Parts: sequence; C-alpha cells; structure tokens
Amino acid sequence: MKFLKAVNNNTIGGTPIGASAEDKWTGQRSIQANLRKTLRVVLSVLNVVGLLVLVLIFAMPFVWMISTSLKTMPETMIFPPEWIPKNLVWQNYADAWNTGPFLSYFVNSVVISVGILILQMLTIIPASYAFARYKFRGSNFLFGIVMVTLMIPAQLIFLPVYLELSAFKLLNTHLGLILPFASSAFGIFLLRQAFKQISDELLEAARLDQAAEWKIILKIMVPMVKPVLVTFALFSFIAHWNDYFWPLVMTTNETARTLPLGIAKIREVEGVATWNILMAGNLILVAPILLVFFLSQRQIIKAFVYNGVK
Amino acid sequence: MTVWEKLRPYGMVAPAIIIFSLFFIYPIFYMIYLSMFDWNFVSPVKTYVGFQNFKDLLMEPDFRQVLSNTTIYMVLTVTLTTVIALLLALWLNRKSYFYGFVQGAIFTPHIISLVSISLLWSWLMDPEYGLLNWVIGLAGFDKLQWLSHPSTSLISLVMVAVWKGLGYNTLVFIAGLQSIPTDIYEAASLDRSKPWRTFTKLILPMLSPTLFFLVIINMIGSFQVFETIAIMTQGGPVNSTNTLVYYIYEYGFRFFKIGYASAAGVILLIIVGILTMIYFKMLSNRVHYR
Amino acid sequence: MAKIELKHISKKFKDETIIEDLNLTIKDGSFTVLVGPSGCGKSTTLRMVAGLEKQSGGEIWIDDKCVNDTPPGLRDVAMVFQNYALYPTMTVRGNIEFGLKNRGVPREEREKLVKDISEIVGLTPHLDKKPQSLSGGQRQRVALARAMVKKPKVFILDEPLSNLDAKLRNQMRTELIQLHKRLGTTFVYVTHDQVEAMSMGDEIVVMNKGVIQQADSPMKIYHDPANLFTAEFIGTPAMNIMNRKDVQGLDIQSAAGIGYVGFRPEQAMINAGADIEGYVLEGEILIRESLGAENIYQIQSRTGIFYVKTFLAPLVTADRVTVTVPHDDLYYFGLSGERLRGIEVSTKRPVPAGGI
Repeated sequence: MKFLKAVNNNTIGGTPIGASAEDKWTGQRSIQANLRKTLRVVLSVLNVVGLLVLVLIFAMPFVWMISTSLKTMPETMIFPPEWIPKNLVWQNYADAWNTGPFLSYFVNSVVISVGILILQMLTIIPASYAFARYKFRGSNFLFGIVMVTLMIPAQLIFLPVYLELSAFKLLNTHLGLILPFASSAFGIFLLRQAFKQISDELLEAARLDQAAEWKIILKIMVPMVKPVLVTFALFSFIAHWNDYFWPLVMTTNETARTLPLGIAKIREVEGVATWNILMAGNLILVAPILLVFFLSQRQIIKAFVYNGVK
Repeated sequence: MTVWEKLRPYGMVAPAIIIFSLFFIYPIFYMIYLSMFDWNFVSPVKTYVGFQNFKDLLMEPDFRQVLSNTTIYMVLTVTLTTVIALLLALWLNRKSYFYGFVQGAIFTPHIISLVSISLLWSWLMDPEYGLLNWVIGLAGFDKLQWLSHPSTSLISLVMVAVWKGLGYNTLVFIAGLQSIPTDIYEAASLDRSKPWRTFTKLILPMLSPTLFFLVIINMIGSFQVFETIAIMTQGGPVNSTNTLVYYIYEYGFRFFKIGYASAAGVILLIIVGILTMIYFKMLSNRVHYR
Repeated sequence: MAKIELKHISKKFKDETIIEDLNLTIKDGSFTVLVGPSGCGKSTTLRMVAGLEKQSGGEIWIDDKCVNDTPPGLRDVAMVFQNYALYPTMTVRGNIEFGLKNRGVPREEREKLVKDISEIVGLTPHLDKKPQSLSGGQRQRVALARAMVKKPKVFILDEPLSNLDAKLRNQMRTELIQLHKRLGTTFVYVTHDQVEAMSMGDEIVVMNKGVIQQADSPMKIYHDPANLFTAEFIGTPAMNIMNRKDVQGLDIQSAAGIGYVGFRPEQAMINAGADIEGYVLEGEILIRESLGAENIYQIQSRTGIFYVKTFLAPLVTADRVTVTVPHDDLYYFGLSGERLRGIEVSTKRPVPAGGI
C-alpha cells in the first residue's frame, strides 16, 4: 500500500486542517505535526525492517545451504546452529562429485541445453516471421497447432513420447533429449508478437531499397527483435539446464543423464541423512547459475519479466 | 506472385510444425488411443478394453485423492502466489538501489533448478534437524512434521512452490504497474480519489492483462508439479501428496500399466483443456484495457 | 526524370471501394501535391505508384512503361515516409547505402555518393550514429538522403513533415522546394494540409472520397475552383458559401440551376461606401481576430455566420457593419456543387424596405 500513498501524496499529506491563526490552534497543530513526523519515522523504520525480513526469507535458505555444505555430518545436527563451521570441510564437494560420473553429467547438460537452443533459434525465427508477416492459406490452422502446443505441458504427454522415442531407438541419446524441444511454441508466440510490432513502413522502405526478402528478414527484421531473442535464449537455456523431469523419464542408464539427475541421485548413493554432502552437490548445480545471475542480474530479470508483460 | 513466393511461408513454418506434430500433437492422439488398451509395454499384445481403464480409474479411491490433491495444490498455489505477489509489487515498486536489491533477492529462486530447491527445502523441513523447526521452536511453537505427516505435507509443498514463484510474479506485476502511465494517477489524485478506490477502479483493471497472464502461467505450472514431489515426498505419506503427473509417472514407469496411465493422462488433458478455454474466453471478453 | 500516368485506376479493400476510375497525369519534373482530407485516397494513390499497394484495376505508367507488374524496388522510385522508416539497427551511413548495396553499387562509388549526399543535407558529422540518437529534423534529412542517393526517376513523399514542429516544418518546406529545383526530378507529395500544398506544389491535385476534384496550378485552384469542394478546401478561412435562396438583392440572369453562391473572405470589404458596386450584406461582428498584418472578422448576418479578412487595414471597432462583395468576386455553384461560369449579375434597386 506504500505505493498508493506515494501516488496520492498531494491529497493525503501536507494539507493543513483549518487555516486559522489562533493560538490554541497553533499549539494543537504543532502537536499534530510532531505526531505525524514521529509516525512517519516509525513507518519508514518498519518499512526497512520489513524489507530486510523479506530478503532474509529468500536469502537465508541459500546461506544455510552453503553453510551446511562445509560442515561435518555431526555438525549438521547441532542446535543452535553454527552458521560458520569451525573447520571448513571442502572434502564434501569431492565426495559429492565422486558419487557418480559427474564429468559425463556436466558434458551432457551442456550438449543438450546448447543443442536445444541452436535448433530452437533455427526453427522459431522463420516460423514466427511467417506467422507475423505473411498471409497464407491455412495459417490460422497452423498457428492453432502452435497455440495448442503452447498450452500442453510437456509433462502431460511424456508417456506417448517415451514410447515414440523408444520406437525410434532414441532413448538414452542426446538426440532423444533434444528433438522434442527443437522448436518452441512459446518462442514462436513471443517472436511473432515482436515481428508484428515492427512498422510496415520499414518493410516498404526496404522493398523500395530493392532488398531481397531473405535480406529484409536477416538484415533488418531479425536485428530488430534481438532483445526478444536474447530474452528467449536465456529463458530456454536456464529452463533446460535446470530440467529434471524430461531427462529422468527419457533415460534408463547414465549415458545421456544430466547434472540435475546426478545431484538428485546423491541421496540414493549416500543415504538420507548426509545433508552436508547433499548440499555440497547441490551447490555444484546451483553455483554457476547463481554466479551468472549475480553478474547480470538486471539483464536476466528483464529477460524473464519481459515475457510476462508482452 | 511466383510459386516460390506462395510456398515460402509454408517452408518457413514447416520445421516447427513438424516438431510440434511429432512430439506434441501426435502423442495426444496416441495417448487417447492407448488409454483404451490394456498393455504392459513389454508384451507384444495390446488388449482392447474400451473405456474400462477410465471406469477403473474413477472407481479407484487413490485416484480420487490424486485429483483432489492436485486441485487443492493448484488452487492454493495460484491464489497465494498471485495475491502475495500483487501486494509485494505494490510495496516494492520503487526505483532505488535498495529496492532493486530486494527485488533481485526475491527473484533468485525462479532461476534455480527445482532439484536444488527440493533438496534444499527437504533439508530445511527436516523434522529432527531442520532449520525451520528450530526457528518456530524459538518462537515458542511445537515442532512440525512438515513433509512427513499427511496433514502438513501438501501445504508444505505449496509453501515451496509459492517461495519459488513469488519473485517472478512480483516482478511481472511491477513491470505491469510501471507500464501504467503516471498521469492516470495524477488525474485520479486531482479527482480526490481515495487510495483504495484508485486501486480497485484504476490500478486493478489496468493490471488485469498481467493478472490473467500470471494466473494462466501459474495454473499450468501447478498442474505440471512433479519434481518437488518426486524428490521430496514420492507422493507420500499415505498418498497425501500424490498428484496427477506423479501418478501417471508411477503407473507408467513403475507398474508398467500403460493403458491405465494413459487414461489418467487423458483426464489431465481434459482438465487442462477446459481451464485453458475458460481463461481464453475470459481473456477475450474482459481484458480490453490495453 | 519521368512522367507518371494513372489510367482508370481503381482500388478496393475487401468490399469497400476506395478509388474508382481515377485518371491522372503527373508531369515530368513537376512538384505535384496530392491534397485532401484524411481517408480521401491520396496516400493509397501514392502507394500504388510506388508499388507498395497493388491496384485492383487499371494501369500505371512511368515514362511510357507500364509498371503494373514491376516490384517496388525496380520502379526507380524513392519514398520518404511519414515516420521516416529508418532502419534502427543500422547507422546513418548504413541507412543511406543500403539501397545502393542491394543494387550492387561498388564500394568506392558508394562511399562517394554517401559523402556527396550527406554534405548536401548536412549529415556529415552524424554518419556513424544510429537514427535513435538524432533529432527529428536530422532523421528527416536521413530519410531524404536515403531517397536521394539512389537518384530515382520519381520522388514520393508521404506527409513527410507532419512529425516536425511548426518552425522546423517551415524550414524543411523551403529546403524541399530548393531540393526539387536542384534535382529537377518529379516529386509527388502527399499532404492533408492545404497551406503546405499551396506553398510547395507547382501542380496541385485536390482529392475527396477517392475522386479527383481538380488538378491544376495553385493559382488556378485558388482563383478558379472547379467545384464547391475545392473552393471550400483551399484558403483560410474557407470560402463563405450561401444557399441560393438565402441570397436576396441579387439580380441574376439565367438563374436556373444555381444552388450556392460564394465569396472569399479576403475579397469582401467592410463599410466600403456606396461607390463600390457589389453584393451587400449587413451584419454584426461577433469576433475579431487580429494577427497584425491581417484581421479576421466573424460576422453574424441574417442568414448565418460568415468571415471577412482584411489586410493592413485598421481594426474595425463598430459592431454593426455593411459588407460589400464586388460582383466579379462572387462564385456560383450548381445544386450538385459544380462550378457555374459566366453568370451576369446586377444589384436590384431600389433595395426594398426591410430587405437585407
């Protein structure tokens, strides 16, 4: 509600009640003014305290994760908790890494996320351009397919897709994990909006400049939607880097498994109570993303939020 | 128009459409087809059973609980996330370094893998050594069982989902608020509009496209819930956190009842389909402010 | 340089007919202005010439060549758009030379052309900037340079000045006129602003509802309007138009068919005295607008409100005035708005008591 107050400042605050100059009034008014001043100070202190609590709620779990990852197992059970362990147990990270073929997990994660991204770019740019800029018979029907796809969560149809991939002998392969996401309905939807917003005049100018259609697309239109493309790329990469469900369902052995699966598996290997090693493994998965986020926080937030507004 | 010019748009959309048809559209029909068979995935024989799988499913008390779990989870998550995020957005919509920092902090969970978040919260919610129980102990409350007791397990999962989604929702709302031209507020204050009135009559309607967008995204997300359940509770205890996708997963990949799992998938498909259509209708009828 | 001919052009959008059977010849080397209210089809006509819009029927000829099937890039036409349509992802230089690159002009020649043009329009210091960092006037110049550098046969300008502020607009007007003189190329210019049309064009085409009302030189359009629409559209304030039946005290020979009588505000005289022969109106001054050199009066007469404009004359302070319009300055129009010429009149005398 702070926000509303700020907006309506000129009606709420600063309006002296009764402009009389009599003495009793002046006294009362100064008391009122003092009260109001105190109230304002109290409110702003409360506001800052509230903000700090908010930050705490979101930051504390991560701090706790780091703290736990550097403890010995008995230390994890001490209460009140020690936020900074006496001896930092870096061995936990090595232990976590050695619970499975982590190098292979890592390589698989990179290959699959990047592979998906490249194919998506190649398929969504021409498709969204055609949907945004050309009139053709059946375009409504074809765009309907895109919209239906947009509305179907992939988790809903994993069973038939699993059977399909198994028939193509694509289970446990990189290709099998990449192909179903080689295009993105969400990407087409976003990019189509962006292409639609470009003014017709610009295209006409290019046509008068004797530019061929492919040149108009590559030299003028695509550079203009670059921010949206970057947005989508960040979005897609993070989503597939983090994905657990799809690789879990589409793999039956370690050959194509990714980092999130490896981390989740630590618990099976090390047992339930080894929270220190589990958190160490968790940090291996989270650290790169957190690092990138801290370095380009503004960019990433803008990218994700942009999707919501357009 | 040359032939090439006529064919060009089809060529441009073809790769995407082929992918969608192969991995999204065709599987839907394949799933509907499979839902009418009894098949264990290994045997070469599929036995046609008509609607028997659906009948079995709907008679199954477990499945009814799965349906109600999913619905409760979805309603709670969507409502809590949207309402709290809206309040936070009104609170945090300032342009200063400190507020930017707070916004960044609450956004962080959104880009973290659900695997990490599930593991982290399993640890925080550990009944014996978890940080949460220590904190509520300090505040003088009894320890909670969190994920380990049917009465609190589902709401614990909702908590995690809200914690993860809040930052994203808040920032989208803030972006929506900032896209409202400020002269509207100025006009309202000149008209002596009270804050609550300004909020209900101006801000909320202008924000409605954002609101609808978020509700749809959150609903679709909630129906897909799988990771937190698979990692934190495996549907338990006593089925209290078993939801649709996890149920399908278990029947398909643990018990190899492909037809049965497909039937559950078809039911999920119908629910999502109806909800989507309702929202698109509402969207086209009501959201005309921008 | 080129002459443009539009033959029996028609244009339909879905079921709506925008233009029907339009015939127009734009003279080689002329500065032709298409003017009319918004939605009159002037922009559509222009875009059909450029090839951005395909006509539903008829032929377009540029220089004795039918260009019906020629794509826009090959018509040798350059266009300046209302919102400039600069490529935001390219520098000023990139914008100017994009068309040349597409034509395969070699690098050295391109550089020379860009250099020459940017000197003419004064863009040399800004060549490596992006359009977004330029002012409105500078963007306008980039758009011009981009069109000019291709040395087209025809220049097409679609309300190019409408996004500029008043002062800059006046300046660009002069610059465009000079540019036309210098290049000698055919300019086709679209505007809804009749002042702009009058001040820039050497040939004006007045359009309304997809029909050409009149195509003539500015002076002919002003002094000799072909119909009621043109008469009312050109000039500020607009020509005063009276219904024939409200006009009394005029002895009109061959009165048949006259629907309206009109006169220009600047040709009427206030309190002129009895020695000037003409049509006399009496009225009460409602509003005086003094612009310094000229004064505009809004006058209420018995039959309605009309305007009078005087030049370098002292402001009339009296409320009730007599207004005289010389007979030669009266315009007559038929019932359907067409101009009637060669009508002889004289004032009826004596004025009946209580008349006018």
